[in-house]
Amino acid sequence: MFDKEGLVEIARRALSYSQAEQTQVSVIAETMDLTRFNNNEIHQSLSRDNLTLMVKVIDNSRIGVASTNKITARDIEAAVDQARFFASLQPPNEDLADLPTPRPIPSTPKLDYSVVLTTPEQRAAWAQRTIEIARSANLSSSGTISFGIEQHLILNSQGVEAYHETASGFYRTIMNNGDITGYADRIIKNADDFQVEPVANEAREKATLFNQSIDITPDEYVTIFEPVAVADLLRFLAYTSFGAAAKQEGRSFMATQMGQQVMSPCVSIWDDALDPECIIQPFDIEGVPKQKVRLIDRGVAVGVVYDTQTAHKESKLSTGHASSGYYGATPRHMLMAPGDMPLEEMIRTTKRGILVTRFHYTHCPDPLRVVATGTTRDGTFLIEDGQIVARLKNLRFTDSVLTAFSRVSGISPDRRLARDWWSTYTSVLPAIRVDGFNFTGATTF
Amino acid sequence: MRDILSKGLDLATKLGASYADIRVTKRETEQITAKNGHIENLTRGGDEGFGVRVLKNGAWGFAATPILREGDLERKIEAVVQKAVAIAQAASRVNRRPVELAPVESVRTTYKTPAKIDPFAMPLERKLQDLTEITKALACLPEIRVTTASLRLFKEQKTFASTEGSHIEQSILQSGIAASALATGKGRAERRSFADHGTGGYELVENMKVREQAPRIAGEAVALLSADNCPVGENTLILGGHQMALQLHESTGHPTELDRALGSEATFAGTSFLLPEMLNKYRYGSEVVNIDMDATIPGGLGTFAYDDEGVPAQCTPLIEAGIFRNYTTSRETAPQFGQTSNGAMLADGWSNFPLIRMTNVSLCPGDWTLEEIIKDTKRGVLMDGQKSWSLDDKRVNFHFGCEIGWEIENGEITRLLRNNAYTDLTPHFWNSCDAVASKEYWHCWGLPSCAKGEPVQIANVGHGAAPARFRGIRIGVEA
Repeated sequence: MFDKEGLVEIARRALSYSQAEQTQVSVIAETMDLTRFNNNEIHQSLSRDNLTLMVKVIDNSRIGVASTNKITARDIEAAVDQARFFASLQPPNEDLADLPTPRPIPSTPKLDYSVVLTTPEQRAAWAQRTIEIARSANLSSSGTISFGIEQHLILNSQGVEAYHETASGFYRTIMNNGDITGYADRIIKNADDFQVEPVANEAREKATLFNQSIDITPDEYVTIFEPVAVADLLRFLAYTSFGAAAKQEGRSFMATQMGQQVMSPCVSIWDDALDPECIIQPFDIEGVPKQKVRLIDRGVAVGVVYDTQTAHKESKLSTGHASSGYYGATPRHMLMAPGDMPLEEMIRTTKRGILVTRFHYTHCPDPLRVVATGTTRDGTFLIEDGQIVARLKNLRFTDSVLTAFSRVSGISPDRRLARDWWSTYTSVLPAIRVDGFNFTGATTF
Repeated sequence: MRDILSKGLDLATKLGASYADIRVTKRETEQITAKNGHIENLTRGGDEGFGVRVLKNGAWGFAATPILREGDLERKIEAVVQKAVAIAQAASRVNRRPVELAPVESVRTTYKTPAKIDPFAMPLERKLQDLTEITKALACLPEIRVTTASLRLFKEQKTFASTEGSHIEQSILQSGIAASALATGKGRAERRSFADHGTGGYELVENMKVREQAPRIAGEAVALLSADNCPVGENTLILGGHQMALQLHESTGHPTELDRALGSEATFAGTSFLLPEMLNKYRYGSEVVNIDMDATIPGGLGTFAYDDEGVPAQCTPLIEAGIFRNYTTSRETAPQFGQTSNGAMLADGWSNFPLIRMTNVSLCPGDWTLEEIIKDTKRGVLMDGQKSWSLDDKRVNFHFGCEIGWEIENGEITRLLRNNAYTDLTPHFWNSCDAVASKEYWHCWGLPSCAKGEPVQIANVGHGAAPARFRGIRIGVEA
């Protein structure tokens, strides 16, 4: 942890030194503690911290950026000079948006560090407990326990001043007996409340549900997705369709189908980084306050998220979704509206179908139609006559997420904070049932 | 610095570590992106810090911190070593099997990537001009909606010191470029792109001649708007070199990583279908399939002199005449096979624990020309251009999408195809390979974005590849 005053001093020094027309200074400090275990042994355990200063300047419609983790006065000034120099070399870009002006930043609860700081001993104890639970069922366990604190400070010459501290942890474990695996995870907001046993037991139960896997012919099946699997499908909508740039460039169905029914009327999706169920983030990397943005309303495409540049193109205000990633402005705190069909009822009312715990290495071969592909892992089960009757070998799906979400026939009332396989997006998601999901291949395990 | 590192290593030993190493890493990066004729982003980044890895009571501990000011290394080293030792001690209370390391010869040496043009020292104006000209050249047709060109420059100075007496200083330089054209029309959006990276200076970028390729790239993107869909079904597949590089990465590079095979990456990146008992017995591919991992290829993106355990860069055959011969290993994992490490333990910067990472994993060239392969194909599809990739967690079942395809009938290319994809099981795929193009078609492509580990680490890897043919592969998108 770095003290806030120290970060402010760094940012103010950079801002006061800059002679550019407009300057934005970001200071991001991060601390991470992590322990990984495999085959009932801890194989990696670490602690690290870092601080990054980023300076963005705009001079005569030209932009330059420099970043460093050096924080002496000389280094800070060098970063500013470098950003200005970069800007000076470019031809003017008349389409370049100004840096944002101040808007009220929502107040958020003060972080209680006592509930997010863990010691190596505490993480080792959680790993030990997980291993004991695995051994009690003659299983092997793998897993990760991580806790991170991030401090974000954004100042700009237009008057923006934004500071926030956020922290969360993540626990996940796979228990296995050879190729028979079971998975469970939790995003942790409060380490004091976190109990490893229920999660580890969830993985154990999945890993001991049927001791062999059977083949099934790849085809279209009624499919029930647990929240972690839903997160993977939703990620592709976030990447390919819910950002303004994709709409503006004609890369997304939002370019041609805004206002149209694109999914089942029972599907509503929005982004709200201030929802208490989310990992709260009050502003984006430009210091713009996060807005709640409706993306899909009862199946109708209704909105996309903006950063300052994409908003400028449509003479709008940024929704506070600027991101440094490849995809630009994207929703990273999505919520899906709950339904009224508990997971148990979905299973009970399915004549023949498949239950998916999670996916692996999903990708999107056709962004315009949001066609995604990936394989299931760590618990894929066959449902017949309302009961889970067998464990299936993992399957490959290839299907349009739009088509799948048009066929939703059940949404659970319970939702949980979930991460997809790949990204660190955290979404509040239910389990869902889709009447007809296209599995196109099978694995050998 | 040498004295400070010695002090830190001595402290680790005093605190009970049986082994310790310290990596001090300083990085400089430059990323310039042009879009539609304008410079959209110009970022230069710098980052310096150090990480301490210790082995105590047979368990690992790692701690890392930035060098924010001059003198931080000296000021912080004691605390960071103590923290790493405490972490290892906590882990050792859980573990039953102590880690043992394969021997390595201690060395004191330096290495610098050979380069003709230092891309960080050359005039920035030149780089900006090159990129904007590429995006303008790509916008040569009215259907082209978005053009991009990105330059990625990377310089890393790394000092490695261990309690076994090694002190290695390396300066790695990487240069590369990516460019793309997006065409829209007829309710479709089609992209064609180019991307390549290597170790070396700006001469690598110049030799890629992206500006000269721009009319072809744009023309293909536009032509794809009116192309037919790739036919669905079993067919003969010919992969171009760029796509072959990704195929190697995903279906050979990753499953031959020993940490994956032993389960260490189970929770995130996944494991491997290649089990230790398959070594030297398993037929992974056909007789024409020879794949090696070689961290010494001149200009390869995965080229260096020593890995992050002080093991020298080397060439290891992974697949010989189709037989699975070796894993990519580390000092911790290699002894399980009575071997020493083959030098592929690498960390992403100073703040990460080293992991087993592929270096340059390459398909050895065959003796065909591409023209001969096409002429010898009665019915098939030639695909190239990386578009999407997905594999299961043991790297058996895969699905790749390619930007462009050409149908082949009776030994001739007959039409352009869009929505190109193929799916298969890795052993079947490589066993169906019956032709590999010769060294004239072979190139070591650079992929600067291999993700693995928790927290996620990015590695820069190379893949030497030539076009190759595979029989009886399921092709076409089935959604």
